[in-house]
Amino acid sequence: MGGVGEERRSLPPTLISSVLRFVLFRVLQSLVALTLLSVVVFVLARTTGDPLHLILPMSATEEDYANARRYLGLDRPYVEQYLSFVGKAVTGDLGTSIRARRPVMELIKERLPNSLRLALFAMSVSLAMAFPLGVMAAVKKGSAIDRTAQVISVLGQSLPTFWVAIVLVEFVAGRLQWLPAGGIEGFASYVLPGFTLGWFVVAGIMRLLRSGMLEVLDSEYVKLARLKGVVEHRVVWVHALKNALIPVVTFAGIYFAILVTTAIVVETVFAWPGLGRLAYDGITSRDFPVIQAVVLTTAVIVSAVNLGVDCLYAFIDPRIRYGR
Amino acid sequence: MNSLVLLVLLGLGLSLGAAMPAWAQSKSELVIALSSFSAETVDPALQGHNVKYYLSLMFDYLVGTTTDGQPSQAGGLASKWENSADHRRWTFHLRKGVKFHNGDEMTSEDVKFSLQRAMGKRSTTGYAGPLRALIVDIETPSPDRVVVVTKDPTLIIPTYLSRSLSTEGIVLPKKYIEANGDDVFARKPIGTGPYKFVEQVVGSHIKMTAVDNHWRIGVPKYKNVTFKLVPEETTRIAMIRRGDVDVADISRERVKELEGEGFPIHMRREEAIIHAWWILGPDGRTPPTKDKRVREALNLAIDRTEIAQSIFGGYAEPASIPMGLSWSFKEIGFKVTPDMVYAYDPARAKKLLADAGLGAGFTLDVYAFQLPGFAEGKSFAEAVAGYWEKIGVKSKLIPVDYPAFRKMWVDRKAPGAVGYYNIANRDWIGTYALLEKQGYTPSKLNDTVNDPEIDGMIAQVMRQTDREKINALMRNIYTRLRSEHHGLPVVYVHSPYAAAKTLGKWNPGTVMYDLFLDELARR
Repeated sequence: MGGVGEERRSLPPTLISSVLRFVLFRVLQSLVALTLLSVVVFVLARTTGDPLHLILPMSATEEDYANARRYLGLDRPYVEQYLSFVGKAVTGDLGTSIRARRPVMELIKERLPNSLRLALFAMSVSLAMAFPLGVMAAVKKGSAIDRTAQVISVLGQSLPTFWVAIVLVEFVAGRLQWLPAGGIEGFASYVLPGFTLGWFVVAGIMRLLRSGMLEVLDSEYVKLARLKGVVEHRVVWVHALKNALIPVVTFAGIYFAILVTTAIVVETVFAWPGLGRLAYDGITSRDFPVIQAVVLTTAVIVSAVNLGVDCLYAFIDPRIRYGR
Repeated sequence: MNSLVLLVLLGLGLSLGAAMPAWAQSKSELVIALSSFSAETVDPALQGHNVKYYLSLMFDYLVGTTTDGQPSQAGGLASKWENSADHRRWTFHLRKGVKFHNGDEMTSEDVKFSLQRAMGKRSTTGYAGPLRALIVDIETPSPDRVVVVTKDPTLIIPTYLSRSLSTEGIVLPKKYIEANGDDVFARKPIGTGPYKFVEQVVGSHIKMTAVDNHWRIGVPKYKNVTFKLVPEETTRIAMIRRGDVDVADISRERVKELEGEGFPIHMRREEAIIHAWWILGPDGRTPPTKDKRVREALNLAIDRTEIAQSIFGGYAEPASIPMGLSWSFKEIGFKVTPDMVYAYDPARAKKLLADAGLGAGFTLDVYAFQLPGFAEGKSFAEAVAGYWEKIGVKSKLIPVDYPAFRKMWVDRKAPGAVGYYNIANRDWIGTYALLEKQGYTPSKLNDTVNDPEIDGMIAQVMRQTDREKINALMRNIYTRLRSEHHGLPVVYVHSPYAAAKTLGKWNPGTVMYDLFLDELARR
């Protein structure tokens, strides 16, 4: 770890150019993936059926169908529709929602901050619970704390999110009336959805941290630190924890992207207007522009997080940088 | 001196109290949590009729409607109307001094513009098509008079432009829309209704605030009205329990639980008919359901009472008339006689099948799907299929979503297969509009009946100008639909709404897709 810190400080020109090459390569990879994804999403969205069957009244005539199809641009050939979509997308125009008749970019701008805030809250809850439990479980292996952590871990990964959400709404909000049941109104409204979302992540982070700490606590440099008389809490919380953190950071980064983009169940139960619900509504109403935009936004977020993690790794570990 | 100051302060307080809007002195917000907002657009021309519950607060209709669906001269922007002797010119006299939320006065030009917009190619309103075919001109002889000229003599214009049907009768601000464009209007709509649009977050809520004084309801009781989209029922119920919302739609199975806790339940009785039908082939009905005896047998095999009890929790009534929307019965003088009621009679059903040469049974495809407001959809399909199995009809359940079924239906790709819908109940004109689409051969796309005799009667209704003759025609249509078994009417379902204990009296009425929430705002 100390060696890595020295490498960072010196930043030789060869290192900078190799990191830049690596980043450029990854950006190009992401662009190719996004292009392919745009084609796949465009085609798959249209195989789900005709959205006009949902937006037009049951009494609509053939003429009504033809008018609506023309107005929404759905009467043009698929290739023309795709090229138009891509052409506009690169300028930031993701089309207009068939269902809500508003620019999709506006809808995403409305929803994304809500999802980001909820994901941040959930991640904070997770980290606040997972760190002390994970570290203490490793330090006091086999103790009551360790067993408690393992139970929490099993429950976190096995209890379905939907069930946790419903139970919390029914008892904590509905019966005990301690916290709001849904919607975004003040800090209190973050607690139940944030806890539900974070609960699953706690288990993952805690397990990773525990196993990482167990490995590191048994390493030579930790033994040396103890021999040198470094106090135990410093050995654990400074020397050991730093090295056990790398997989946790990767996991948390990827999970953060997932929490932002796919919290459909939690957003539905807690009436939280986020990106996940937007995707769900788009799919159920066959709102092609919304489906395409949400999937691409999700892909961009996941790509960006992956790129960030890759770059961090490349910066930290030269084997990744040169060995691709 | 001190007493004088106190008296002055007291007087000031009293006068302020008198001058302040009523909502300032009572609960200031009405919050309604609903499971679906449908398409969520606030432009009436871009909506079907299924969002009238929130549009009716922001906009007024040309012709008003009472809560039981009758045209009302007190409830619309037209204070009276009359027709020419030939029933081709309908003159509407508009209220003077009604203003849009931006202060512009509402005139006949706004009415003309709104109607043209509702009939325009961009419109997706419920009955834009029939109005396009019927209206040939709209004249504005003066700011408070508008004349609608029709191609054929008709009686239905006032009803078509009223609150009882769809959204074509909503009056919009011509100047505002022309100056700002359709997109701005769709984001910041203004109308003449008792509540002004404040904010919409798609997928979350719609907020409105009261006008100071509305021509129809006076000073609104609530300063703000918020519609919250809460898809999960457990959450809506928790919100009711916490007092976070005042009204929430709930499922029939949770009614008793909430009633037990003391929450008032407002029931929209017979809000929809659960009606199934056989998809037609390109040339009409196909065997085996081309045979009237088979259609009757399939009807007799269904135990409607049991379905009402077990699937709809007792909040449903058996139905007997195909497409028989019960809110229209009283208006047209139609009575369901005992011989019209479908008894549960599997033995007779089997005999009818045997008479039709199908004693060994046959295979029938049944599409199974859920619909908004009809969460029991798949259970319903399973139950019906189960009854048919008992008379030897092998029912093949095909799980799909509604649009997939609708495509099969309108493309006529699965002749004879069964699908269903929770058709919103409505008055006679709404029923006529439904029949004109689903029971009329020339409508092609949606027809489910294909009966020349019924086609003839439907065609006469539109041209008829004698109300009594219209009523007789409508009665005859119902009688024929029943005697020929042109469909599978199963039950009328009641829709429950839970309310806060403090909400007070509320009559959600019997107008399709309208909950008359503005009546709650009336003091």
